[in-house]
Amino acid sequence: MISRRNALKTGAGLAAAATVGAPSILHAETATLKITTWGGKWGDIMKASVLPAFEKEHKCTVSADQAFPFLPKLQASRKNDPLYDVFHTNSNEQWSALTEGLVMDKFTTREVPNIADVYPYAVSDKIVGVTIFTSAIGLGYRTDKGLTPPKSWKDLADPKLAGQRGGYLIPVNSLGQCHLMMLGKIYGKGLQDLDAAYKALEQLKPIKLVDFTGQMEKMLLSAEVSEGVIHDSGVYRYEGDNRQPVDFCSPTEGVMALEQVLNVPPGSKLKELAYAYIDYMLRPDMQKLLAEAVWYSPANKKVKLAEKYDAKLLTTPERVATLIQPDWKWYNARKDDIDARVTKILKG
Amino acid sequence: MSAAPNKVPFDPGRAAYVTLNVVLLGFLLAPIAIVLVFAFNPTPYISFPPVGVSLRWFDKFFAGSDFMNALWLSLWIAACVLVLAVVIGGACALALARGNLPARGFFTAFFMSPLMLPAILTGLALFQSYLLVGIGRPVWGLIMAHTLIAVPYVLRTTLAVLHNFDRRIEEAAAVLGASPLRVFFEVTLPLIRPGVFAGGVFAFIVSFDQFPVSLFLVVPKGETLPVVLFNYMKFDLDGAIAAASMVSILLALAVVLVLERLIGLKAYVKL
Repeated sequence: MISRRNALKTGAGLAAAATVGAPSILHAETATLKITTWGGKWGDIMKASVLPAFEKEHKCTVSADQAFPFLPKLQASRKNDPLYDVFHTNSNEQWSALTEGLVMDKFTTREVPNIADVYPYAVSDKIVGVTIFTSAIGLGYRTDKGLTPPKSWKDLADPKLAGQRGGYLIPVNSLGQCHLMMLGKIYGKGLQDLDAAYKALEQLKPIKLVDFTGQMEKMLLSAEVSEGVIHDSGVYRYEGDNRQPVDFCSPTEGVMALEQVLNVPPGSKLKELAYAYIDYMLRPDMQKLLAEAVWYSPANKKVKLAEKYDAKLLTTPERVATLIQPDWKWYNARKDDIDARVTKILKG
Repeated sequence: MSAAPNKVPFDPGRAAYVTLNVVLLGFLLAPIAIVLVFAFNPTPYISFPPVGVSLRWFDKFFAGSDFMNALWLSLWIAACVLVLAVVIGGACALALARGNLPARGFFTAFFMSPLMLPAILTGLALFQSYLLVGIGRPVWGLIMAHTLIAVPYVLRTTLAVLHNFDRRIEEAAAVLGASPLRVFFEVTLPLIRPGVFAGGVFAFIVSFDQFPVSLFLVVPKGETLPVVLFNYMKFDLDGAIAAASMVSILLALAVVLVLERLIGLKAYVKL
């Protein structure tokens, strides 16, 4: 028969064991997924609804780093204990990370089932990891300056736009890098014809250069530039009550792809959760939510956007076919030489 | 014949000197004027002349939880850095000036070295060190990093005061029976206080505005104001940035004015 004293002792022992063990159980249940993500409107939506819903579904917490630069931080952390579990960047940085063994190459439908529904560009041989959204890089222009709306990339070289055209500091901006490759295609033998690209770049002077796409948006809004290289979402979002005298042109030669890519460092200790997050971001409801919030084209072809978005974004196979994906592996291998050359061309 | 008025003869040298000062002052103040115009202009981009006066960007700044959290964190870190830098920098300066240390020049250069390295490298090196020892990126790690950068300012200003210090005053106090501790708190500290606190002001401002070191050491939901502004600027370059800049400038100015009222920084300026 169990005495009262023994019962109390046993109870106290069990309680103590439960107390000591509880933090580890709690810890196991509330794993923290460390991700990188964008700021701005995207970041607002992520914090307000996307991430809380994921945390609830997967009983975890998500630590979202919005503070650039992501790649140097990943490079500086240990490969077997990386700073991030999910690495969200544009495609060019994913290729740099892959070269150093910091991210995985590809995913299969076993790891990320929703990959089965993405457009081919999202998992093409030009992509490391998987693309969740893309934007079209083309030409933004003022509609109130009496300019003939551009149709071709060549229109940016119109002498009337001298000092009124906008571009990027090519060494630090992937849109600028895409534009340089596009110049090679338009004026030379292809995206990799750098000599033709340099020559064409010379002809674009005088040109106003900025670091970030956000700056290009403001330069267009303030009419400091009349026409500039920009991604479609940077123009389309000025609509409705927020309407401004700017519009976007998808040049006839095609638009360059500005992909939002997710990947997982091989050393992540939360790989399954990381795959689940990528799958979640490719889910049609999340794709629709984010696409309509920030005017990004969803990679999942099953997503049905509201009419105004559907009319403009890359949501049909025909429109997706206009996307041109740069070979970032090729570009990154030559980046130092390209940077030196374009800096010399655009100096001053 | 009436006496000629006391005309100051034209001095070309003086005129050039005044002109140069006005130009330099204009060069220093022009960016602040541009920020001011942008902060009160209602358009979401820099436009000149301004189309009106509005407080919408200040509203956005003060209503944004990201901005406010970052502002308070920056202020809190800067306050901690001020205290730590004053204590460490002041003690180092006393040791270097009074300690008869061997290799004094080496130690002075050693403590000043954080100013010689690019801050971005200091930030990256600390980031790697923290990860290697497995402590992650705690707030106290950020405070230590800022302190590292801020100590040389206190060290330099305190050494400057100590250089002009008349030690006979301390000796007189000691002869009259004051203990070393009493001599320090009642004689030495009041006399070196302007230098120490001037360094403290620099430490506060250096920490509050610190970007390159913080860039690698901040954590999600624990970002300082300069880092939040940098990231905000990449996506939304609107007047909230200018409003935040105005608030930062006013805060820095307030700190200087408060310290001037409390301890009289002018005394240090005269040194």
